[in-house]
Amino acid sequence: MKIINFCKLLILLVAFFAGTGFAQSNKVLIVNSEKTVYRYETIATEFKKVLQQNAYPSIEFNLDDHANADADLKLLIQQENPALIYCIGTQAYSLVRNVAPNKKLLFSAAINWRRLDVGGGAYGVANELSSAQELSLLRYFFPTIKTIGLLYNDSFSREYVESIKKDALALGINVINRSINDTQEISEALNELLPKIDMFWIISDPVVLSNKESVRQIFQATQQQQKPVYAYSDVYIEQGAVLAISADIATIGRQSAGLAMMVDQGKVPAGTVQSPAGSTVTLNKCALDALKLQFNQDALDSVNKIVGCEQ
Amino acid sequence: MIKYLATLLVVGVLLLNSSAYANESAEHDSLEKELAYLAAERKVVVTASKMAEHVDKTVATTTVITQDDITHIGARNLLDVLRLVPGIGITQTNIGIRKIEVRGVSTQLSEKVQIMLNGHPLDHNLQNAGSTWVYDDLPVDTIKRVEVVRGPGSALYGANSFLAVINIITQNAKDLNGLHTSAGWGSFDTQQYRASWGKQFDNSAEAALHFNFTDTNGIKSPIPADSLSIQGLSSNAPGRSQLTEGRYDLEWQLGYKDFKVDGRFIDKKTGAFFNAAPILSDSRTKQNYTDYFLRLSRTWKIQDKFTVDTQIFHDFFSADNIWQNAPSLFSHSGFQDTRTGGEIQANYHFSNDQTLISGFSYAKEQQGNLIEESGPDPQHFMPAALTTQERTRKRWGVYVEDVWDPLTNLRLTVGARYDRYNDFGGTFNPRMGFNWEVFKNYSLKFSYGTAYRAPAFGELAAANNDILRGNPTLNPEEVKTFEAGIIAHPIKGLTAQTTYFHSAINQIISRVSPCPVQSCIGNSGSVLAEGVELEARYDFDESLQGSYIGANHVVQRSIQLGQQLADVPRHRTNLTANWAFDKTWSSFAHVLLKGDTLRIPGDTRNSVPGYGIVDLGLLGKNLFDKKVDVGFNIYNLFDKRYYDPAPANLSFVGDYQMPGIAFFGHVSVKF
Repeated sequence: MKIINFCKLLILLVAFFAGTGFAQSNKVLIVNSEKTVYRYETIATEFKKVLQQNAYPSIEFNLDDHANADADLKLLIQQENPALIYCIGTQAYSLVRNVAPNKKLLFSAAINWRRLDVGGGAYGVANELSSAQELSLLRYFFPTIKTIGLLYNDSFSREYVESIKKDALALGINVINRSINDTQEISEALNELLPKIDMFWIISDPVVLSNKESVRQIFQATQQQQKPVYAYSDVYIEQGAVLAISADIATIGRQSAGLAMMVDQGKVPAGTVQSPAGSTVTLNKCALDALKLQFNQDALDSVNKIVGCEQ
Repeated sequence: MIKYLATLLVVGVLLLNSSAYANESAEHDSLEKELAYLAAERKVVVTASKMAEHVDKTVATTTVITQDDITHIGARNLLDVLRLVPGIGITQTNIGIRKIEVRGVSTQLSEKVQIMLNGHPLDHNLQNAGSTWVYDDLPVDTIKRVEVVRGPGSALYGANSFLAVINIITQNAKDLNGLHTSAGWGSFDTQQYRASWGKQFDNSAEAALHFNFTDTNGIKSPIPADSLSIQGLSSNAPGRSQLTEGRYDLEWQLGYKDFKVDGRFIDKKTGAFFNAAPILSDSRTKQNYTDYFLRLSRTWKIQDKFTVDTQIFHDFFSADNIWQNAPSLFSHSGFQDTRTGGEIQANYHFSNDQTLISGFSYAKEQQGNLIEESGPDPQHFMPAALTTQERTRKRWGVYVEDVWDPLTNLRLTVGARYDRYNDFGGTFNPRMGFNWEVFKNYSLKFSYGTAYRAPAFGELAAANNDILRGNPTLNPEEVKTFEAGIIAHPIKGLTAQTTYFHSAINQIISRVSPCPVQSCIGNSGSVLAEGVELEARYDFDESLQGSYIGANHVVQRSIQLGQQLADVPRHRTNLTANWAFDKTWSSFAHVLLKGDTLRIPGDTRNSVPGYGIVDLGLLGKNLFDKKVDVGFNIYNLFDKRYYDPAPANLSFVGDYQMPGIAFFGHVSVKF
C-alpha cells in the first residue's frame, strides 16, 4: 500500500470513529421536578428553545411521569449518556445527584441552593436574586428604613437568611428574623415581630408561604399594624406589598442554557452558581401612598412597573 | 339608534367588567402558580439527610454495597455479598452456620461482629452470642444497601460491635411502590421465592411488607471419615454433609407521620454440615431457630436543629435442636432468649458544620424455657441435667458523639460510651478520629477506638458438661484499634483507598486450664492483628456507563503467643468486573484468591492450601416494559476443589470440601 493510500485510509477511519462511537456526546438531559408547575415548565421551555437555536440535542425526563423515577432515570442516563444533566427544581437535583453522581449537573429553580449538596462542582443558576442586590434596592428606595423583619423555616432558608443578615449589616440595616416550623406559628410570630420592625420582607420560603391562607395572614397582620411589605416576587403586589423585585423566570431558563453550553465547552470553572440575570422591579404606588411612606423619588427611574390604586 | 347605543353601552360595560375580572383572575392565578411552585420545592428537605455521613468523609473504614451491586454479584444470601468486602472472609463451620472473619480474626460464632437490620442489633442469641445463627443466609433480594464499617463500634452501638458493624438496610414503601416478586432456582435443589409490597398513602401513612422463602438440600460435601470410622467402628462416614435448610422470613415496616413500627420474623430449620460432636451426623440432627424483633420508634422534632429519636423494642430468639452425639445417642436442647428495652437519642445540629448526638439505652435480657434431654433416638428422649441456666441481665448505657467540620476539608469525630451490666460491671469505650482532605480529591483519615464483647450466657453459665464449664466471673473482651488511611480520587470515576489497621485484643474469652473438666472458660490471652487493606474501583462513564472494575487486597497477620492465628489467611484478593453491554444486559465476573491458612499449634496437619475461584454472572434488567429482571450466575466456574479449615478437636480427616461448580438463576417481576 502506498503511503498516500494509507493516509487516506487513516483519515477515513478517524472520521468514521469521530462520527460514531468515539464522538463525545453533547446531549443535554433535562430533568423536571414537576412539569405541571408553571415556573419549572417555563424554565424548561426557554432552556430548550436556546438549545435548539444552538443545535444542541436535548431529551426530557419529567419526574411526575414516572412511578419509579429513580430506576427509570438511571436507565435513561445509561442509555443516552448525556454530557450534562439540567435539573429543574430541588427534587430533580436531589434525585439526579444520587443517581448520577459522576455526571456534570446544572440546576435552577431550587430554593436556597446553598442547602444543596454541590460537592464535586455542580453548576447552577440561583433561584433568588442575591441578597445584596435585594437589600441595595430596598436601601435605595427607603433610605430611612432601619429594621426589617422576616419569617423563615430553618430547613429551607437558613443559609439564605444568614446571607441576608450579613449583607444587611454592611448596609446598616438591622434584620430581625424568626424561624417557624408550621404555618400555625405565623400569626404568633408576626405579632411578636411586627412591632419591632419598620418593614416586613417576604422571602421565598416554602413553609412560610404554604398556602393562600398564610399569605392572607401575613398581609392582614401587616396592614393592621401599618407595616410595609417588601417581596421577592411581584405576585405579592396585588396582595398589598409596596415593592417587589422578581427574578425573571424565562430569563433563568435562557441563562441556564447559556451556562450549559459554556460548561460543555469547558469555559466555566466547576462550582459556578450564577445569580439570575433578569429582574423586574414593581412598585405599588397605592400601598405606598396609603402608608404615607417616605421614599427616594430618584429611585423611580429603576422601577419597571408602577401599580396604582386604579389597577 | 338609541337601541343601538344602549346595546353598545351594555356590551362595553360587559367587556370592561370582564377585562377587570380577567386582570384579577390573572393575579390570583399568578399567586397560585407561585404557591404551587413553593409546594413542589417543599417536598424535598435536603438538610435532614446531612446526619448521614458520606463514605468519603467518615473517619471509619466503610464499604457500602448497593442494591445494584448485589444484583450484579448474583448473591444468594448475605454472606455472598460480604465475601467481596475487603478484610472479610467467609468459611464453613462444622455445625452449619458459616463464620465471618474480619481483619484476621475468625471465631466459630462470629460473635465479634455486630449485624444490624435497619439499625437494630441482631445478636439475639444470648446463650451463644453472634448474629449468624439465622442471618448468615439472609435472602438479599429485599436489601437496598449493606453498610460495612470495619473497626470498633462500641462507642456508638455498645456491646459486640467489636471488629465490625454490618448494617443491612431493606427496601421501604417508597422503594417498592407496588408489588415485587422474584423466584430463584439453583444447584443443590435450591429454591428462593420472594414477594414484597409497599405503598405510600396520601395521609402520610406508609407500609412495606416482605416475605421470603428459601429451601435447599445443601452442598452435600463429601465427609470421608470421622472419629468412629477411623477406628473401624460403625459410622455414617464416609458420607455427605446434611446441610439441608428451609426458612421463611417476614418483615414489616409501617409508618404514620413520625411513628414507625418495624421488625422481622424468621423461622429457620437446618441440618448440620458435620456435627457438634466428632462424628458425622445423619439427617436426624436438626436445628430449629425462631428469631424476631419488634420495634416502635418515633422521631420528635423539637426544633429544626434539635430532634429526638425514641424507640422501644422486643427481641426474641429460640433454639430447639437435636444433635446426634453418637450413633445411638441423641441430645435435645433448647432455650428462649428475650431482650426488651428502649433507647432515646438526641440529635443537635449546632450548625451545618457540627452535630452532636447523645443517648441513653436500657435493656433487660432474659433466658428461660430451657430444654435438656437425651436418648437413643429422637423418639425416646429422657430429661437430662441442664447444661446452662436461666439468667436475667440488665444493662444500660449512655453515649455522646460530636461530628465537627472546623474547616471545609476537615472532619473531627469524638465520642464515647459507658455501659453498665448487672453481672460484670461497667465498661467505657471512646472513639476519635479525623478525616482531612489534604489536597483536592486526596483525604487522609485516622481513628482510634475501643470496643467490648459482653460474655454470653453460655460462657457464664455452662454447667453439667463433662467437656466445658462456664465462669460467672468473666469480664468482657476488649479491643483497642488504631487505623490510618488514604482515600483518593485521582481521576474521574476512580476511587482508591488504603487502610492500615492495628488491633490489640485482650481478655479473650476462651478455654483455659487448669480445670477439673476438659476445659473451663476464662479471660485469657491476647491477640495482635494488623494489616493493610487496599481497594480500588473504577466506574466507566460515557458509552460504558454501568461498567466497572474493582479490586481489593488485604495483607494481614494475627499473632497469638508469638504465632500466626490458625484458620486465617495472610492475604486475600478480590477482583471484580461488571460489563454493561447495553442498557439491558450486563455481565459480572469475580475472582477470589485466598492464601494458605495455618493450623493451631500442635496440629501437625499441613496448612490448608490457598485457592483461586472464579464466579461469572449474566444479568438482564428492565426487560418487558421494564417489569422483568433475569439473572444467571455460575459459581466456581472452573470447578476448583478447595477446602475450608476443619478444627483439630473434631478428629475430622482432612478439611471441609467446598462446593464445585454451581448455578443459580433468578427472575424478578414488578407489578
